[in-house]
Amino acid sequence: MAPVNIRDVRKAFGHVEVLHGVDIDIEDGEFVVLVGPSGCGKSTLLRMIAGLESVTSGDISIDGRTVNRLPPKARDIAMVFQNYALYPHMSVAENMAFSLRLKGASRETMHEAASGAAGILGLGDLLARYPRELSGGQRQRVAMGRAIVRDPKVFLFDEPLSNLDAKLRVSMRSEIKALHQRLRTTIVYVTHDQIEAMTMADKIVVMHDGVVEQIGEPLELYDRPANLFVAGFLGSPSMNFLNGTIRAGGDRAEFEVDGGARLPLPTAPAASDGRPAVYGIRPEHLLSDAGGTDAEIVLVEPTGAEIHVVARLGNDDVTAALRERRPYRAGERIPLVPDLEHVHLFDRDSGRRL
Amino acid sequence: MQTRRDAAILWLFLILPVGYMVAFVGYPVVYNLVMSVQDVTLGNLATWDRPFVGLGNYVELIANERFRLVVRNSVIFVTVNVVLQIAFGLAIALYFENRFPGARYMRGLFLAAWMLPPLVIGALWKWMYAADYGLINYVLESIGLSDGPIYWLSNPDIVLAAVIAANIWFGTPFIMLLLSAGIANIPRELYEAASLDGAGAIQRFRFVTLPMLKATLLAVACLATVYTMRAFDLIWALSQGGPIDASNVLPLYSYQLSFEQFRFGGGSAVATFSFVVVFIVALLYVRTIRHEKAM
Repeated sequence: MAPVNIRDVRKAFGHVEVLHGVDIDIEDGEFVVLVGPSGCGKSTLLRMIAGLESVTSGDISIDGRTVNRLPPKARDIAMVFQNYALYPHMSVAENMAFSLRLKGASRETMHEAASGAAGILGLGDLLARYPRELSGGQRQRVAMGRAIVRDPKVFLFDEPLSNLDAKLRVSMRSEIKALHQRLRTTIVYVTHDQIEAMTMADKIVVMHDGVVEQIGEPLELYDRPANLFVAGFLGSPSMNFLNGTIRAGGDRAEFEVDGGARLPLPTAPAASDGRPAVYGIRPEHLLSDAGGTDAEIVLVEPTGAEIHVVARLGNDDVTAALRERRPYRAGERIPLVPDLEHVHLFDRDSGRRL
Repeated sequence: MQTRRDAAILWLFLILPVGYMVAFVGYPVVYNLVMSVQDVTLGNLATWDRPFVGLGNYVELIANERFRLVVRNSVIFVTVNVVLQIAFGLAIALYFENRFPGARYMRGLFLAAWMLPPLVIGALWKWMYAADYGLINYVLESIGLSDGPIYWLSNPDIVLAAVIAANIWFGTPFIMLLLSAGIANIPRELYEAASLDGAGAIQRFRFVTLPMLKATLLAVACLATVYTMRAFDLIWALSQGGPIDASNVLPLYSYQLSFEQFRFGGGSAVATFSFVVVFIVALLYVRTIRHEKAM
């Protein structure tokens, strides 16, 4: 168990800089998820923590000790790879106890450690098998077992669930979370899947194009995204964005969507009348109610729990996740009312929250 | 439903390869086997009417001191070649895995040795081995490692070593190429996982590279054995098997019996010995390949 501190870390491959000064503080025992679209630098950052990539500039410290120049084996970390990286010529038990074998541990110690980890992960019956004889989910567990046997200061996970089918992914998600609650070891977990991030993390780090966009607890990021990128990245279906202008002339504030329609605003930021902005509202915060803004239905997608209605509002399409069961039809007009408590306003140029 | 036309096409495609095998592989092998139990001379070569001698040719060979020396040479030649070609090939392949600038071009240069005809290589090495004006003696003398010319190709005690060295130089690049392909197939993550597990470079070689390369190494060893079993032209150009058979090997001896002494039966019997060895190794190779695919 250890805190991990990342200070102004940069990474360049040749002349191309892929991380532009990243600062993250991870507390002892915390489950931190690095999330972002592919190419945002999250995996590179994880590999730098592991020591598999060099640090171009800045500092990475684990448990208060700068590790920039330490080889991976001296960092006291364990990593679970996306394709598991199990040794194909070793049995499950040998895979899990390999680190102990390298240290010259006795046969008994290795056996004890392997069966201990296998017990935690429900692999007890598979210890003699080889990786090729296991299913994807079982391989994933062995990879985790190998990490557990190490009893490291920090666990690193690099997209560990991407190769599993959807159902298995959901159950492994809760298993990993339960594992963390049991072991209480610091975890840094990389994924591109925002649902994994939301469900598992104590703290989410949203990355984009080599910079950290926002750090915070999952719901904090969901409720108060700092910018357009975070707002659009978290949540599915994603937040609706409407371009327009703030109108705060009279006693109540309004937002004039480019192309005509008007939407209500709870309050307008000071001296913002006439300011161009982006109006953000999540699909679940759009209701269909009398007196709302008139919109024309373009597409209807029932998901079971709710019905996703895509409707044209001004120049933009918005999605409303409606809980009311009603036969909506394309071409029909419905009134849409935003939940005023959940309206987000962003600056149109910088994308920052207003 | 299979129509008659489909069946005809199936037969055609079956007959083509089988016919090819029978005509160009089966017939020569059987013909050689038949000759090895006959007394074939220049006089009866053109006819089928040759005296049957049973295993006479074989018995004669085994009793022959010269043949036993050739077998001994062949075993040494093949074993040393296979072991050292694989050792050097693996070392060079691993060296080029460190992707330093120019690595790819240098690896290409290594292959040049393998692209030359063995006869040319034999001629080159013959010059280098030359006692009076050869490069090797010149270098050895100028750095003080020897104080007189070494007769590489005319001293029976060292000629086999000299021939082996030249053949290793010739065969190693190809082995390196095959092993490079095998190494490239080992997932990088395994090395990363191993270094996180605490393995240093030697342990990564011992616990990742070697076991992952096992099937490739076995297949390459079979190939190298077959290639060196049939070595002929390089030795021909260097020493012609001499002096007094000190560097003679089975294919060369078979050629000499058949086409210099015109003892075709004996030559065929020697060839049969080689064939049996090569055939066993080839079977092993096919098995390895199949095993590799099943993995």
